Formats: sequence, C-alpha cells, structure tokens
Amino acid sequence: MFGKRKPLWGTKKRLKSSYDAVIIGGGLHGLAAAYYLAKEHGLTDVAILEKRYIGFGGAGRNTAIVRANQRTQENVPLYKEALDLWPVLTKELNFNLMFNNCGNLNLMHSEAAMKAARMTIATAQFHGVESHLIDAKEAKALVPALNISEDITFPIHGAMYHPPGGIVRHDAVVWGLAKGCAKHGVHIHQQTEATGILSAGGRITGVDTARGRIQTPRVLVSAGGYSAGIMYHMLGIKLPISVLTIQAMVTQPLKPILDHVVSSGAYHCYANQTLKGEIATGAHMDPWPNYTTQNTAHYIKHQAEALSDWLPCLRGVKFMRIWGGLADMTPDMAPVMDGNDPIDGLYMDCGWGYFGFKSCSAVGKYMAEYMATGNCPEMLKPFHLRRYENHRLMGETAALVNYTPDN
Amino acid sequence: MALTLTCPVCGKRNGYEFRYGGEDKGPRPAEEGLTPRAWCDYVHMNTCTVGIQKEWWCHRDGCGAWFTTFRDTTKNLEVKPPEAENGQA
Ligand SMILES: Cc1cc2nc3c(=O)[nH]c(=O)nc-3n(C[C@H](O)[C@H](O)[C@H](O)COP(=O)(O)OP(=O)(O)OC[C@H]3O[C@@H](n4cnc5c(N)ncnc54)[C@H](O)[C@@H]3O)c2cc1C
Ligand SMILES: [Zn+2]
Repeated sequence: MFGKRKPLWGTKKRLKSSYDAVIIGGGLHGLAAAYYLAKEHGLTDVAILEKRYIGFGGAGRNTAIVRANQRTQENVPLYKEALDLWPVLTKELNFNLMFNNCGNLNLMHSEAAMKAARMTIATAQFHGVESHLIDAKEAKALVPALNISEDITFPIHGAMYHPPGGIVRHDAVVWGLAKGCAKHGVHIHQQTEATGILSAGGRITGVDTARGRIQTPRVLVSAGGYSAGIMYHMLGIKLPISVLTIQAMVTQPLKPILDHVVSSGAYHCYANQTLKGEIATGAHMDPWPNYTTQNTAHYIKHQAEALSDWLPCLRGVKFMRIWGGLADMTPDMAPVMDGNDPIDGLYMDCGWGYFGFKSCSAVGKYMAEYMATGNCPEMLKPFHLRRYENHRLMGETAALVNYTPDN
Repeated sequence: MALTLTCPVCGKRNGYEFRYGGEDKGPRPAEEGLTPRAWCDYVHMNTCTVGIQKEWWCHRDGCGAWFTTFRDTTKNLEVKPPEAENGQA
C-alpha cells in the first residue's frame, strides 16, 4: 500500500506548511468534500489528512447499500440527490462505480410495522422517490428464496419496496474520488494523523499533525467513527454520539439466488448477493460503545440463526470472511453537519452511523459549498448541532422504545 | 474476547446480561435554573473516550441493579478504577 509504486490517483505530494482548507479523514465524506471543493468552487489548495490509508475507516468496510427511502422530509431529499448522483459521478470521475440498482426490500413483520411503512412510503412518494408497499406474496414473487411461512420467529407481513436503490462498489468510490481529487490538485496525505486543531480569537488557524503544523483558515472534521473523540479531545466540544462496532460478513459464493437488497428490522439482519455470488450480510451494532472493530461469536450465531429463518436456502452455507467497523450513532439517527459554530472556520460532518456511504456523494457537494461560501446551504440547515438542545430531534426512527447507545 | 462485568450483587457475569446505561456524567443537574443546554449536555452529549471511561450499567437479566464501573473502550474489557477514583463509591 505504501510501497514504491505510485498510488492509483497520482504521485505523492510534499506536505506544505499552509493550505486554504484541511480535511481530517480520508474516508468517503472527506474525499467527496475535497473533490467538490476543488472541482466546483475552485478551492484547489486543499489537503486531506489520513491517519492510515484512504478507505481505512467505514469507507472500506461498509456493505455498500444505497437507497433514498429515509423517513423524514429533511432527510429524504438529501439521500435522493445522493442516489441520483451515482450515475453522474461514474461518468464524471471516469471510474466504474459498479452501481447495481437492483432495488431494496425492507421486510415488515407486524401490522404496526406495515402502518409505519405506509407513512415512510408516503413521505418518499411526496418527494418523488419511488417506494411501494407490497404484501408477503408479492415479496415472495420478487424474492423466491424468501420464507413467507407463518411458522417462523417473525412472520413476514409485507415489505417496503424501493426499486431505485441497490449496491455501489464502495472501494471504487474511494478510488474514483481520490483520482478526481488529485486531478483537481488536492493533496492526499496518507499516514498523516491530525493531532490537534488550533484556533485563536474564535477562528480556526491551523492543524497539528504527526508530521508538523499546517496553517489553515478552514478545517473539516470528517473522521467517521473517530470524529466525536476528535471534537472532544482536541476542542472540548461534546457531540450527541455513541461509537459502536458494527460487523458484517460474506458467505461462500453461490449461484444467483438473490437479486435485491433485503433487510429486516425485526431480525436485525440484511443481505444481498454480490456480483461475485457471495451473500453479503450485516446486522445490528454491538450493544455497548467500543472502538475494537472486533468480531464476536455472539454475532456470527445471531446472523446464522436469522438467515436460516427468513432465507432458509442458506442453511449450511459457510461464512468466508467477517469484519467490523465503527458506527457513530446519534439519538435521532440523523447526522450532524454544521459549521462556524462555535469556532469560525470549523466544519463538522459526522454522526452518520451506518448511513454514511449512501449519503457521501451529495453531502460532499453541500459541505464543499458550505466551506467555500461560509453559508450553510438550505439542504443542510436542519442538521445543525443545536437541534439537540432545542429539543428538535429528527424522527428517523419510527419508535424509540429504549434510549440506548445505538438509540 | 468477550466482555464480562462485575455486578455489585451477583459478581462477575457475562456482558450480554447487562444493559449499557451511558457515560457517567455526575449527578443529575438541579431543576432550578436548568438551561436547555445544560440538560442537553447531561442527556445527549458524550466524550466518546478512546480508552478508559466510567460508565453506567444495569444488570438487566439478573438482579436489576444499576452501578458504575470502568471499561477500556479500545479493548472492550472491564478495568480497575484509576488511582484517582479509588475510595469513591
Ligand atoms: C460494517 C459496516 C457496514 C456499513 N454499511 C453501510 C451501508 O450499507 N450503507 C451506508 O450508507 N453506510 C454503511 N456503513 C456506514 C459507512 O461506512 C460510514 O458511515 C462512512 O464510511 C462514513 O464516512 P466518513 O468519510 O465519514 O468516515 P470513514 O469512511 O470512516 O473515514 C474516516 C477516516 O478518518 C481517518 N481518521 C481518523 N482519525 C484521524 C485523525 N486523527 N487524523 C487523520 N485521519 C483520521 C480514518 O483512518 C478513516 O480513514 C457501514 C459501516 C460499517 C462499519
Ligand atoms: Zn446483579
């Protein structure tokens, strides 16, 4: 990775002592913001600081699901724009992002869930996002492998069907954006950890790194699961975030059996078949905050049990690989995007939980506009940090039974 | 490496018997003169410590006791209280 060969996106650049903007984190959001800063706003004197290598965080670990059927009217338009951008970015970056818009099926296991789905679908349709409610038989017609028997732990009552969603190749997004960044003059510095954020008189003045100090008037904190720790330990700013390990795995490759992304809230389980034939599947987060990114027997067992129930044809199929990453969860399941408060020139883009892949294209575009102009774009206004102290939490979950770290 | 926690009543037990109750934020702020900001700080805001933190747990599938303990969030292991905390309840 750090060998003699030139990285895919261009030659290694010297770390300068000043930049017009510094971005902490070479993940999806940092790369996308830098790309749009340089391409749309002519702000090309930009450094991306990455502690390890680009894609080390959630960017290289997510299960690559994209969709726009969020629940609230503030969130749906942002995710819709992000979804619409994949074909555009594929052309613009001249990089095959392997967008497979196979459609998403979100299973419902009770009449209450069906009711909640009706509401979500109405919101989607109002915002021009295709989404339908289908019954169990229709779901079975779309996904013949589905077990619609009434004799399972959580019988399937129906599903929310969202045809335009699907899967995008996550590594390709990282590489494509890195290439696009480099082409427009952005410096990508791997193995360069940000160790401090400097300010004077209420304004950002620079960033300390393990390789020396950088002067800059603008900093974006987009370090994924590490953002909240950075904000508190470098600036004393607390965020409404809990950081949890989330795990995923793939089975051995199989013949084509599943051509949709299927997810189930009740089973805490989702699955899709990759173009290689593996069943990629993930679940809920660890029930307590931790930065381990380790896998657990508890979870492997849970996943095998859940899949055997609702996709019984997978019984006996072997898991080949398993891995973990971080999810930075907020109480309302919506991110925090803010700037110039309480420090001028400080921007944050975090709290994405497990939604940070599907959103990164549009968010990069809007965060870049925010940083270039200093004014918050309309699209991002609802996501400011002060909504928590104003008790204006977003309703991205239908019901909060318990207030837990994964909310 | 599975998490075990020490319940003050039942002793060392499997972590999955417990419910995480959040970072320890000290006593609940007094109602008098309470600002939305201070309340939000107490209810929602976290330090997200990468390392040892003091936190609340409930022995949900056991005796039901609420207690605080220390855990290293980078290893997901319960640890002894740091020196400064010794002697405190
Ligand atoms: C198992 C799993 C499955 C997921 N599935 C999905 C999914 O299906 N769909 C979806 O939309 N989202 C999914 N996500 C969430 C998504 O991956 C994240 O929300 C997303 O990667 C966040 O992007 P980011 O750019 O903010 O952070 P990241 O991609 O995590 O990048 C942050 C980067 O910051 C770097 N960094 C940290 N600290 C410093 C420092 N001090 N200095 C410099 N660099 C630093 C890290 O090394 C890292 O490379 C999943 C996540 C996981 C873990
Ligand atoms: Zn007990």
